[in-house]
Amino acid sequence: MSTGTAGGRPRVEVGHEQLMALIDHTSAVIYMRDADGRYLLVNHEYERLFRLRREDIVGLTDHDLFPRPIADEFRHNDLEAIARGVPVQVEEEAPGEDGLHTYVTVKFPLHDEVGRAYAVCGISTDITERKRAEEEVRRLNDELEMRVRQRTAELEASTRELDAFAYSVSHDLRAPLRSLEGFSQVLLEDYAEELDEDAQGYLRRIQANVGRMAQMIDDLLHLSRATRSQLRREHTDLSALAREVAHELATTEPGRTVEFRIPDGLSTQGDPHLIRLVLQNLLGNAFKFTGHRSDATVEVGSLVRDGVEIFSVRDNGAGFDMKYASKMFDPFQRLHAASEFEGSGIGLAIVHRIITRHGGQIRADGVPGEGATFLFSLTPSPADWEIR
Amino acid sequence: MSDRPILLVEDSPDDVLLTRRAFKKNHIRNAIVVASDGAEALAHLLPEDGSEGLHPALVLLDVKLPKVDGLEVLRRIRDDERTCHLPVVVLTTSNEERDIVTSYRLGANSFVRKPVVFEEFVAAVNALGVYWLLIPAGAR
Repeated sequence: MSTGTAGGRPRVEVGHEQLMALIDHTSAVIYMRDADGRYLLVNHEYERLFRLRREDIVGLTDHDLFPRPIADEFRHNDLEAIARGVPVQVEEEAPGEDGLHTYVTVKFPLHDEVGRAYAVCGISTDITERKRAEEEVRRLNDELEMRVRQRTAELEASTRELDAFAYSVSHDLRAPLRSLEGFSQVLLEDYAEELDEDAQGYLRRIQANVGRMAQMIDDLLHLSRATRSQLRREHTDLSALAREVAHELATTEPGRTVEFRIPDGLSTQGDPHLIRLVLQNLLGNAFKFTGHRSDATVEVGSLVRDGVEIFSVRDNGAGFDMKYASKMFDPFQRLHAASEFEGSGIGLAIVHRIITRHGGQIRADGVPGEGATFLFSLTPSPADWEIR
Repeated sequence: MSDRPILLVEDSPDDVLLTRRAFKKNHIRNAIVVASDGAEALAHLLPEDGSEGLHPALVLLDVKLPKVDGLEVLRRIRDDERTCHLPVVVLTTSNEERDIVTSYRLGANSFVRKPVVFEEFVAAVNALGVYWLLIPAGAR
């Protein structure tokens, strides 16, 4: 190395050995071949990688070192760089200890004084790991997509089965009930004189139970429909729906006075048919469980907690013991004797399913003898968040 | 009142008995021809030799039937010029919306979900009888 100054600047001249040291200490594979493809120079990484010594390689071509298709590819890329006269970037593959490795290679020609390319330099960087990672990501993605498709198909199949099941339930389970009810009625009408009061009472009991069973079948169908019907989110006027439901309830028992307090302007994005079912069940329960009160009040409201809109249905009816609160959303759970309050025990399961399908939550608060409050949201909430 | 028969297409003998009773209670005295499956109903209405078949005042058609189901029977009734104007009331146990929609699309004149409570069924039959048997076709 010699130092001098030119134009006042310190100047360092770099010689062949310094350059060799430089290219020997990179992790890239560096080589130079002449226009006929004979090796002129390789770096240390090249020697290490292909377990060859540079003095043995000089003068050989790729066809002496690599399988023919690979050597052909290298030669083709060399010629491409020579023909273009500028650096080209290509992806190449070369055998390694653990199979083929992929390299991204920059090749550029060297020109003599008359502009003729006399050699090609190549700098190759091993990108095998990256390639394998990409390949793995692609494979995992494909697998995931396949699994999603598979699961979707399974779900669709089970929904279809559920659909067929519900249809046959609604049809086949009701048919025998009609016979039971109808022929009990025939007995009451045609054999009234032969049947004493007790016998007639038993027949009426049969009819009452048939009626309950029919109601349970209808509720089960609602539950199934709440699960399988497609959820359509649209603007839903909760105030209007609640008023409709309240009006319907009031007409079922004209003798009762129940004050429904329903404010204007309650609305949400949700499936109006399903939300109507929610209100039918919650307001229906409130109506039912205030049956013994002369000052029955049912209040619908809304509030916002942690940015989540929560709707409420509150009554001053029979209430319930909080230790049963977790059970009440399971199908067929009843907290009151059938003699006290009628019901199939499915209503709140329907409500729970509809709210869950909307991504929302529901909770129930109650005090025996004082009333119950149901709080529910209809939009997905933050992680770990719970209605309180 | 029309004195032509009523064709009741119903596979349940219990339902046939109860339906007959409901007609009797409503003083509907038309003869009742019962077909216990869809194929039998078609044999009555659309004889294969192309001749005129039974020409009932009203067809009461259950949806779920052995062999040929009720909706298929309805489709064939509407497709044939011998029967395309017959009043057909579809009866069903289910209240599946698709049955209701399909029935009307295929040209059912009415759709009745058979109630569990017999008294309600008697009332439904009464309404059907008044509408389809008592009121002359021209006035409807």
